Amino acid sequence: MKQIQITVNGKQHNLLIEEHERLSDTIRNRIGLTGTKIGCEQGSCGACTVWVDETPLTSCITPSVKCDGKSITTIEAIAEGGKLHGLQKKFVEKGAIQCGYCTPGMVMTSLAFVNENPNPTIEEIKKSISGNLCRCTGYKKIIEAIAEYSSELNGSTACAPSKEQNNEFSLVGKPRPYIEAVKKVKGEADYADDIKIKNSLYCKFLRSTYPHATIDEIDISEAVKSEGVRAVITGKDLPGHFGVLPISEDETAMAVSKSRYIGEIVAAVAAETEHMAQVACSKIKVKYTPIKPFFEMDESLEDIGENEKIHAHCKFNNNIHKKAELRFGNQNEALENSSHVVKNDFTFQGLHHGFTEPHAATAFWDENGLNIITATQVPHYLHKYLAKVLGEPMSRIRVIKPYVGGGFGGKSDPFPHEIIVSRLAKITGRPVKVKLTREEVFLTNHGRHPTRISMSLGLNEDASFNTIDTDIVIDGGAYGSFGVVTTYYNGVLLQAPYKLDNFGFRTRRVYTNKPQCGAMRGHGAVNPRFAIETIIDEAARNLNIDPIELRLKNLLPPDTLTIGQFRITSNGSEECLKAVRERSGWKDKYRKLPEGRGVGAAGGFFISGSNLPIHWNEYPQSVVHLKVDMDGRVLVTSGASDIGQGSDTMLAIIVAEVLGLTMDNIFVLAADTLLTPIDLGSYSSRVTFMAGNAAKMAAENLRKKILDSVSINKNIPLDELNIVNERVFSNDRLVDLSWIEAVEIATRKVGALNTSGFYNSPKLGGDFKGAGAGLSPSYSFGAVVAEVSVDLQTGMVKVENMWGAHDCGRALNPLAVEGQLEGSWHMGMGQALSEQMKYYNGLLVNANLLDYKIPTSMDTPMFDTTIIESIDPEGPFGAKECGEGALHPSVPAITNAVYDAVGVRISSLPIDPEEILMKIKSKKK
Amino acid sequence: MLTTEKIYLQPKTVNDALMAAYDHINEFRYIAGGTDVLVNKFQGNEISSCLIDISGIDELNAVKISDGYFKIGALVKLKDLAKHEIIRNEFAALIEAANSVGSPLIRQAATIGGNILCENRCIYYNQSDWWRESVGYCLKCEGDICIATGSAKKCYSELVSDTAPVLISMNAQIEVADKEGITIRKLEDIYSGEGVNPRNLKNTSIITGILLPLSSNFLVVFNKLRERQSLDFTSLTSSFSIDNSGKIRIVLAGVDPGPVIVEGTINTGADIFVKEALKKARSIDNEMLSRKYRREMIRNFITNSLNKLKSSKIINE
Repeated sequence: MKQIQITVNGKQHNLLIEEHERLSDTIRNRIGLTGTKIGCEQGSCGACTVWVDETPLTSCITPSVKCDGKSITTIEAIAEGGKLHGLQKKFVEKGAIQCGYCTPGMVMTSLAFVNENPNPTIEEIKKSISGNLCRCTGYKKIIEAIAEYSSELNGSTACAPSKEQNNEFSLVGKPRPYIEAVKKVKGEADYADDIKIKNSLYCKFLRSTYPHATIDEIDISEAVKSEGVRAVITGKDLPGHFGVLPISEDETAMAVSKSRYIGEIVAAVAAETEHMAQVACSKIKVKYTPIKPFFEMDESLEDIGENEKIHAHCKFNNNIHKKAELRFGNQNEALENSSHVVKNDFTFQGLHHGFTEPHAATAFWDENGLNIITATQVPHYLHKYLAKVLGEPMSRIRVIKPYVGGGFGGKSDPFPHEIIVSRLAKITGRPVKVKLTREEVFLTNHGRHPTRISMSLGLNEDASFNTIDTDIVIDGGAYGSFGVVTTYYNGVLLQAPYKLDNFGFRTRRVYTNKPQCGAMRGHGAVNPRFAIETIIDEAARNLNIDPIELRLKNLLPPDTLTIGQFRITSNGSEECLKAVRERSGWKDKYRKLPEGRGVGAAGGFFISGSNLPIHWNEYPQSVVHLKVDMDGRVLVTSGASDIGQGSDTMLAIIVAEVLGLTMDNIFVLAADTLLTPIDLGSYSSRVTFMAGNAAKMAAENLRKKILDSVSINKNIPLDELNIVNERVFSNDRLVDLSWIEAVEIATRKVGALNTSGFYNSPKLGGDFKGAGAGLSPSYSFGAVVAEVSVDLQTGMVKVENMWGAHDCGRALNPLAVEGQLEGSWHMGMGQALSEQMKYYNGLLVNANLLDYKIPTSMDTPMFDTTIIESIDPEGPFGAKECGEGALHPSVPAITNAVYDAVGVRISSLPIDPEEILMKIKSKKK
Repeated sequence: MLTTEKIYLQPKTVNDALMAAYDHINEFRYIAGGTDVLVNKFQGNEISSCLIDISGIDELNAVKISDGYFKIGALVKLKDLAKHEIIRNEFAALIEAANSVGSPLIRQAATIGGNILCENRCIYYNQSDWWRESVGYCLKCEGDICIATGSAKKCYSELVSDTAPVLISMNAQIEVADKEGITIRKLEDIYSGEGVNPRNLKNTSIITGILLPLSSNFLVVFNKLRERQSLDFTSLTSSFSIDNSGKIRIVLAGVDPGPVIVEGTINTGADIFVKEALKKARSIDNEMLSRKYRREMIRNFITNSLNKLKSSKIINE
């Protein structure tokens, strides 16, 4: 141990620390300033940036002893006297904050930069933050915030503000920061690992080193005796099966008798410190007997020996988990009769969500049963499966979602670590905390499936599409997760936005001995969308038609049914395509740019909430409660999980709009299964549509209650009363009350008012098996034009510009919508250019943020963003989804642009510069 | 990993640092900016119980001109190189190389000395202890097989310094201090070309400075291959220099355990350079970009850099 003296945010600390302690640990654990975040622990994400004597450094790779005698500044000191620094204000105003997890590091880096370079160009700003990864924003709004701050210092304004939508509402359509943005920008928002419950133990896992093996013996005797250890458990202690889908509960919290991937949890230790738990894990001895492992999709499709099956429940003599097939018409015949057919084969590597906050949780038991604070997108399903696996009634389990640092689908399953710490907390009688390393986050996976697609498109003589036929295999890894849904989505989400007369698909999901795949932004539809949009581009070339024209010609209209009986209502696909054509200057660029530069277009669509719940029952998909008491403040309670996408703010806007209040009167309490009504969670882009509708209904009910009381009290007909701008008044203004006066009247003798609203999806769809897959009460539409440059010497592709448009029904909060769209396009860009999960004999090779390559600010263009409002008839104020659907067209737009640039058709992702070079060469021969 | 008691020492002079090193001879590691050492420590590849932090030795932070050389102290931070006029005017490629290292945050801490001594990398080595146990420890972590090649013979972890190729191409020498005193060596001579122990340098030795000749009027073309424009280690770094006598020196990193050096003159054909470079570069499939592609890029970088060098030479004359 070593004594050091450091000044942190002006306060002197004399600390006794470990000789090799990292500054991030000293700041977070010894001093308790948890605004400094941990994302990678190896200097490659920038979340932990602090200043050491004014120099911004990644504190996770800075030894604390080095800072002896120095002055350290963390995010907590940037807002002096609680007042936001000018740059922080800009981060808030410009919408540069979504999940908020990268925000403290981003502020520390960019403020140091602007202090040194007060008049930067956009390129210099991009460079300055290129060691700080953000997964939510696509960097644009962060760059704008920095640019605007510095230009205002210099007396000018640089960036156009987010556009207000013209409408009749007072709050809806006005761009506004998230209600918690100030807390996040100050480093005050607590994420799961920031929350310290006193007397906590720490949990670490022993993970399998075999991809497929029986577990013959686990010897924990040495581990139990190890210093500081309070409990050691193995698979046999938690044998109950779970899985997010009730139709594929194939998982246990730890491997019970068999390990199915390298990295699966085999044993868990709770000890006084993380280090002690780690030491104890290394003392656990496991005897394995290896079984033939399956790493490739093809091997898992083949017939195999009985004891080689990854799961005994596979129906046939192979490792196929799920087969889905739907056919409308005879595709072979239709393709034969088509005047033009384009067919291609595609392969896709697996992807990870790459959220910046690693999974973390703390569980403890008290007189009310289990409490768990965890980074989750879906408290409700976790609640259900904790009950099932732990054998406790749901009434004795409380799941609390704190601030969550991004999810993108990767925090939507119930996870082994959540179940394990809950059990350990019970056994030890102490709170138990766990946080995963970035490597463990990657091993936990649940990301996009590696996929192989073979697809044909048939066209009529007039270039109208008649048929899509496709055969798809997806690699699910070791367990089911959302896989059954993914299997269907890969097929069914091809039946729009283009009209088809004939459509068929078969998808097979196989088990392999790799970390499991699940739902990731754009769930199941991203890869087939890539395939069809690539094929359409090819068809346009072959037929010498402009690819945007070809798409426009084939679009489904609003208010129609697709071939598989999806009900399309609002549909802004035409406006989206036209907007990106216009904004990008398409007509002057397509096929007209010099070699090495090109533009590409694509369209897409996505569900706005799954019409059917995962656990079939007749409970509404979302319920929202409101309470107003004599103080006039409206409490909104909702189970919807804000994970950075802005759903808390969305709920507040809707309630305030209906009640004619300002946002200051609304308080949102969300995602706590004790205090909030059930919502099915943040997945399938359902929250704005479903929780938004529930909130609207609850607010309308409250509005009615209050107006009823005023109407009776003042003896005025109900239909003559209004609530606007916090006043309740009659048309003739003879009654003119403040909101508080009206509330006072309404609460007389009955006390606080409570109302409830709910959302039930309509009955939709055809009468055939599989008809429910992909049904949604509404669909979003989008389009993207990308402009790329291809380095003819290296084959490397750079996205120079991207113009995107997305039909979100109505933008309740345009600032948040833009943020969702730009983040989606950025993520699509990552899939196109650089992201992939690479395996060596089933072991993930790039389980870190250095080799898993999320695009940096320097790789990302300043997106041009257009919001299209088709005003959905059933969405709250006409709103529908914007968080996932925008991603789909971004990936093929990039590769279609590569074709325009160098004539190379990309059919395998991520783009391989080697392949581009080879193809350029062979073309020239 | 969790062995003896840990120590962190902060000597103020080179002599004190050397004394500390000899006191802890089998258990120490020097550390400066820490951006390399701490990451390797986190992954369990660096397990020295004693860290000797030399960053407080002020004399290693200076730059000066002496005897026709420009001397850069080993502790000068990568981001600070551009602050020196002589470097900007005479050795601009060094700034370009330094600015391509890691990210702006890394460059705030990382030193020039640390970058030339940056530990060799391989995707099968730069992993956690659990990972390496799962795959079976490789030659570089006391295992008996190279995972990347499946052979037991040699480790091909790669030199990934971006500044070393530029420095070597400009005939840099280094000043090395040890118990015996100060020696001056050519920078390239400290690289062994061997993956497990990539340097011919006693672990007690301290690089105190880098010497660059002032009279050669180098023209240098620098190039770095990477998937992202920031954060990434190099997949191929090349530096091409031509001095005032027309001598060309090509130095590559990222494709061999050591620097690949090819020499010639302005009249040497590109093909000859390429052939020799490809012969010398023992690159294997041990990172995200393939060996085949990176070898193709060697050809490419050489041809293009040469053309660029020749044309700028003509313009300069």
